[in-house]
This record gives sequence, structure tokens and C-alpha cells, in this order.
Amino acid sequence: MVTFEAVSKVFADGTEAVKELDLDVGEGEFVVLIGPSGCGKTTSLKMINRLEECTSGRICVNGRDIRSVDPVQLRRGIGYVIQEIALWPHMSVAENIGIVPRLLGWHSGRIDARVDELLALAGLDPAKFRHRLPDQLSGGQKQRIGVLRALAADPPVVLMDEPFGALDPITRDVLQSELKELNKSLRKTIVFVTHDMDEALKLADRVVLMRQGKIEQMGSPEEIQNAPANDFVRSFIGEDRLASISPESSLETLLHDPFLRVTPGEDPRDVLERMEDDGLETAQVVDARGNWVGMLYLPVLKRTLRNRGTLREAVRRNRKLVLEEAVMRDAAEMLADMDLSIPVVNRENEFLGVVTSGSLARLAIGRLSRSRKEENA
Amino acid sequence: MFPPERTFWELFVTYVSGNWPRILALTGQHVMISGIAICITLLICIPLGIVLTKREKLASVVIGVANVFQTIPSLALLGFLIFVFGIGNDNAICALVLYAVLPVLQNTYTGLRNVSPVMIQAARGMGMTETQILLKVQLPLARSVIIAGIRVATVWVIGTATLASAIGGGGLGKLIFAGLGALRQEVVLAGALPATVLALLADQGLKMLQNHFEPRRRALRLARKYAAEESVREEKDVPGEEMVRHEM
Repeated sequence: MVTFEAVSKVFADGTEAVKELDLDVGEGEFVVLIGPSGCGKTTSLKMINRLEECTSGRICVNGRDIRSVDPVQLRRGIGYVIQEIALWPHMSVAENIGIVPRLLGWHSGRIDARVDELLALAGLDPAKFRHRLPDQLSGGQKQRIGVLRALAADPPVVLMDEPFGALDPITRDVLQSELKELNKSLRKTIVFVTHDMDEALKLADRVVLMRQGKIEQMGSPEEIQNAPANDFVRSFIGEDRLASISPESSLETLLHDPFLRVTPGEDPRDVLERMEDDGLETAQVVDARGNWVGMLYLPVLKRTLRNRGTLREAVRRNRKLVLEEAVMRDAAEMLADMDLSIPVVNRENEFLGVVTSGSLARLAIGRLSRSRKEENA
Repeated sequence: MFPPERTFWELFVTYVSGNWPRILALTGQHVMISGIAICITLLICIPLGIVLTKREKLASVVIGVANVFQTIPSLALLGFLIFVFGIGNDNAICALVLYAVLPVLQNTYTGLRNVSPVMIQAARGMGMTETQILLKVQLPLARSVIIAGIRVATVWVIGTATLASAIGGGGLGKLIFAGLGALRQEVVLAGALPATVLALLADQGLKMLQNHFEPRRRALRLARKYAAEESVREEKDVPGEEMVRHEM
């Protein structure tokens, strides 16, 4: 949808902002450009709608070389959200949102309908907000309107230049979630610039990490985190890693082996003895093929044995998480309810490990000390 | 026999009731001279101000020159201009324009310059042409500053226009100078009062214009207009449809 072919940008003062950049953004892909300030991420973004002209190389949007398109027409076909929000203070919310449709010559009835549709989409009551002025909105509302303004004429590509940078952390988090949710249905191709790793990992299908006008590494948030290409990438992620554990992260990093793993055929009295010796409250029962049978709770096992029951009768299956479906928040909530190991299985019921409050704590501590270790290394 | 002693106010009323057609005619002249001067000023200064925002170096020179005209005493300026335009209204109008240039030019330039570059970049990024950026973003955002400059200029021009008669021009200055010459204060007042009222009215009128464009008032007007259109639309709708819409 958007392709860079050996694109370079040299400013009039000789600064090389972007060097031989190659990047191919697929249709419906959410690509986040990230890097320290001066890495060329914003310049790269602005070259797409020709607010900056590239000095060499070629940029295509939707298969067309952008130099063959009149810049004004090009920009009307690309959504644009900027950091400072920049809603025009003399225009109402409806006029701000409707600006590109008006430039494109839509008739006013169609514009009004589109504005109302978009406001409703963002959860803002059209009757209430249509005629407000930007001054009468909160920061979060303003930036929602800023995003709606970019979406008004339904462009296939949307450029976002640190759109949430000026917001407080809570509002920012809410708007990020809204944007992600919104784009699930809209499927826009989005190029998004940020310096916040947290934001990049949360939103991106693909993260493009830049330094000094070049791409250092490019990949899915998981790839970037799990296999940083070099020290720069590692340190850039490292600084932000702690913040990057979001309640919505996968449980994978929390998994570890259970303290006691038994097979269904074992003698329940042996199992009880081992649990009592090691002071364990729970044990996981896994069959020979690695499938999860259930878990044992110490009190339940004791009661079953008093009634001369079998191990199978003592097994409980009401506490588990499925890796593909659960996130850290689920685990944390379960642990807060009852501080016992949680078995984690995949959709095929294969036993993967357990999550404990200890593993959550270790993760937090590990992330805290990580950046310091790297400095020493 | 001397006529009986009369108070100043009696003299004034007598003068005005006997000469009101002349006072009205001179007021008309006064409005015309000032109006033409202001119109010429706007025609020169607003486009010039816009051009200057794109040429920084030229701007300081032009505004410097305008500043010089501002510092020349008004009567002296009229005197100088006799060499160029001779005696009469042309000369007066030209002097008034030179006077009015600075506030209008300066405010147009400053008003446009103070529009945040971010607003302009947003407009450009949305696909506005340079002309659209000027008309839809820059000028509306600079409007209240520009009108403030026009207000200042208008009040000055109306006041200074009374000096036009000193160089053979018309306007209310004629009454003032005639009254001063004949030591008749009631005649001076008959010229000074309408000139003052004109200045106050012009000031208030432009203030109302300024308020008219104030975003909040404009937004309220828009909302009212939209509500009126909405109610017309709803009347056409089949009853009951409205309820369905609300549930959605």
C-alpha cells in the first residue's frame, strides 16, 4: 500500500535525515515507526504525503509514484493526524471533521451524515458535540476528533504523527485501545510514529525501529522483544520493557514448571506424602501424552483419601487458563482471588506449565533490573 | 440696543436649528472623506500585509516606513502634501491613508504571523491549497487582530479628518475652524459633537463586527440554524420514526 524504495532525505543544511530507506507497508497493516528523536521517523512519515519531499528514491502509495500526483490531491486521499492535534479553533467540531469531504466537494447533507456517523463511532453523542468548539473539549475528546478528521473521507491510508504524545497516560491508554479496536473493523493501512515503545508494542502489527535515518530492526512486537537484532535495539527496548508488560500481554513469559507433576496412575497416598513433605498446596496431574488431567488441592486430596477414593476422584478441573485466550490480567485476577498455582493449557488441552504469584513478581523484578545489567555488560 | 444676554446652550440650539442642513451636509462629507480613506487603506494594507508575511526582510522595511508617517504631526503632513496634491479633499484623503496604514498593516501582518504554524501544517496536510489555507485558516484566525487594527485606524481617521478643512477640504472641521475664527463656541461644538459621535459609532460598529466573528457566538448561531433545519426535517418525517432513531 505504501512502499519506500531506497528513499533518502537530505535537508538544505546538509543533514541526512533518512538514508536509503526500504519499507513495504501492506494493505490494512499497522506499522509503527519508532526511534530516538532525530532518527528520521517523522521525516519518513511526512514524505508519504509530501509535506517533505524525498531527495532520492521512490515512494509509492497504492501503486502510484507520489511524485506523479499533485500534492494537494495526494493529501486529500491520505488521512493525517498530528501530535499537537491542531483542531482549528474557529471551526466547530463538525466543520473540523468535515474539512476533507468539503475540500473534495461533497454536498452538505452527505457531510453532515458522515460527521454524525463518525462521532457516534467514537462514542461521542453527535447532537451534543457537533457544534462544540475545540476549546470546549477535553484533551482526549480533541484527539478523538483529530483522528475522526483524518478518517472523514474514508482514506485507505492514515498517517499518525505521535497522535497521543500530549495526553496523560490514562487517556493515552484508553485512546490506544479505542484506535486498535476501531481499526479492527476499518482495516486502514496505518503508518504511526511514536517514541514510546509501550505504544508501539501495543498497537503495531509491525514495529520499525529506526536510528540515524536507517532501519535497525523491523518485525512483529514479539520478534522485536524476543530477538533484538543488536545492542541498540536491546537497549532501546530495555529502557521500556518494564512498561511494556501490559495487562493485555500474553501469559507465555510467566509460565514455569509446576512444583509437583504427577501422572493419573500414581498412588494418592504417595502423592499426599510428597505434597505434605514439600509443603505444597497443589499438584498438577498430566497424562503420559502430556495432556492435562486436572489439579490436586491438598484439602480435597485428604478428604478423598479419608473416603478411600482414587486419585482420579480427587482431581479438579475448574481452575485453568488457555494460553491462546488468556492475558496477564486474567491470571492476576485469579491469583488475587486465590493465591494458588494456575495451570495453563493450550487449545488442545496440552499442559504447558503453571502461573504463580511468584512468577508475576519475578517478571516485574527482572524487568526492573534489566537495563542496569545491560549497562554493566 | 444689544440683544438680551443668552446662555451658551441657547446659542447652540439656535445655531443648530438654523443650520442643521449645513451640519448634516458637512457630516456627510466627513463620513465620505473618512470612508474613502479607510477603504483605500484596507485595499492597500490587507493584501500588502499578506504579502509581507511571505517576505520577512521586506516586512521590516515597509513597516518601518509606515511608522515614520505615523510620527509626522498630522497638520505638518497635510502641509507637506500640499506640494504633491495641492489644496482640497484629495490631499486630505491621502494624508489620512498614510496615517491609517500603520495600524492596519501592522495588525494584518502580526495577526497572520501569530497563527500557529501547526494550524497551517494541519491544513496543508489535509490537502488545502495555499489560497484555501489563507482564506479558511489564516485570515479567520487573524481576523479579530486585523479588525482591532481597523478600529484604531478608523477612530484616528475620523478624528484627524477634522483637519482637512485646514487645507481647503470639507468635513466637520470647517465648522470647528470657522467657530474658532469667529470666537463662537457654539459653532465649534456643532462641528466637534457630530465628529465625536461618528468616531464612537464607528468604534462600536467595528466592535460588534469583531464580536460577530467570535467563535463561540458563531458556534451558537450554527447550532441554532442546524436545530431549525432539523425541526423542519422532522416535521416531514413519518410520526414514530423519530422514536426508532433514538433507540438506535
